Amino acid sequence: MENFEQLRKLLTLKRHEQPPPGYFHNFSREVIVRIKAGESGETAVSAWWAWEGSWLQRVWGAFEARPVVAGAFGVAVCGFFVAGALISTDSLEAGSFAVTTGEPQAATMPTQLAVSTPSEHVAEVALPNMTPAAAAASSTDGSLFQQLQQMQQQRPVSSLVGYEGAQPTPQNVLFSPSGK
Amino acid sequence: MIMTEPIRRKAEKEQAAPKPAPVEAPEPKLEDEMVLVGRARQGDLQAYDDLVKRYQERIYATVYHMTSNHEDANDLAQEAFIKAFHALKSFKGGSSFYTWVYRIAVNKTINFLKQRKNKAHMSLDDIDFNAEHDPDLVALVSEKTPRREVGLGELQEKLNGAMQKLSEPHRLVVTLHDVQGLSHEEIAKIMDCNIGTVRSRLFYARQQLQAYLSDYLK
Repeated sequence: MENFEQLRKLLTLKRHEQPPPGYFHNFSREVIVRIKAGESGETAVSAWWAWEGSWLQRVWGAFEARPVVAGAFGVAVCGFFVAGALISTDSLEAGSFAVTTGEPQAATMPTQLAVSTPSEHVAEVALPNMTPAAAAASSTDGSLFQQLQQMQQQRPVSSLVGYEGAQPTPQNVLFSPSGK
Repeated sequence: MIMTEPIRRKAEKEQAAPKPAPVEAPEPKLEDEMVLVGRARQGDLQAYDDLVKRYQERIYATVYHMTSNHEDANDLAQEAFIKAFHALKSFKGGSSFYTWVYRIAVNKTINFLKQRKNKAHMSLDDIDFNAEHDPDLVALVSEKTPRREVGLGELQEKLNGAMQKLSEPHRLVVTLHDVQGLSHEEIAKIMDCNIGTVRSRLFYARQQLQAYLSDYLK
């Protein structure tokens, strides 16, 4: 156990620090004068902080006092983002599965493409130039983008993009979840 | 710029300030205090003036020890009392008025210090005449200390400089406990934390101060 006796003696020096004589004779009177003058005891910055930041101060104070709470909050935030990423990935994969099964959802993707103008879809479906071998090698995850790429190789672009009045038809697309 | 003056010698013994005793939390005269608070809440400034006079020295001392600057301490202490007056309606009496005002002053001071950050400069109060006769200080500057040629003025500078190196919460616990003599329980109420936190901060702060001031301690 450390001995702070010498330090304690040194700190007694602080008790001998005194303001000028008579300082406190006018202190309370000055406070009352300032109250009567309408002062609130807040600067512009501190007033904003007191008004807007009071809840922030409480939250920050809770985090400072209880680091476990701060850690749990951080874990919760990270978990929220990870869950959001996982959910969005799952929904994307569910959409790509529907393309192969011919279910009603399968018609939504081509239908969505069909309602736009051809010029827009030319830009949207402007796939990078890939040789069929490269496309086959890279399409391992069965994503919708890869499937569209394969479909393009099988058919011209104009047949994928529907013009107004065209009836979209589901296409059979090879899909392998394992990537083989 | 650090401003220190040689220790002022009083011409007459009657003018010498009494030896400051450790400042302890007063036994609250609750009934009397609550009467004054009730009147002040109704706008009675005379009642509030009485309340200010009761606690002005303790509040000023706490703020001064945190800032090591007389002018800043003067402004902050006055602003703390002004703010407390305007917030009287929110004082529910769960703690003593003394603790409640203390908390306002401490929060105000810490916010001020955080805004000031590294632009601190010290403006130290004088050391009173009786410091030369304080046995603790006499022992510290006697022949047995490593730096026996050091005077009280230099010790004051070094001590305040070391205090300013501490973080605000650590400086506060040292001020409230080792300088002003408050108990761990009272400090926990003022700082709104548990007693274990107070003890751990105090231990760490003392370790830091001991390291900073090792040249002046045995």
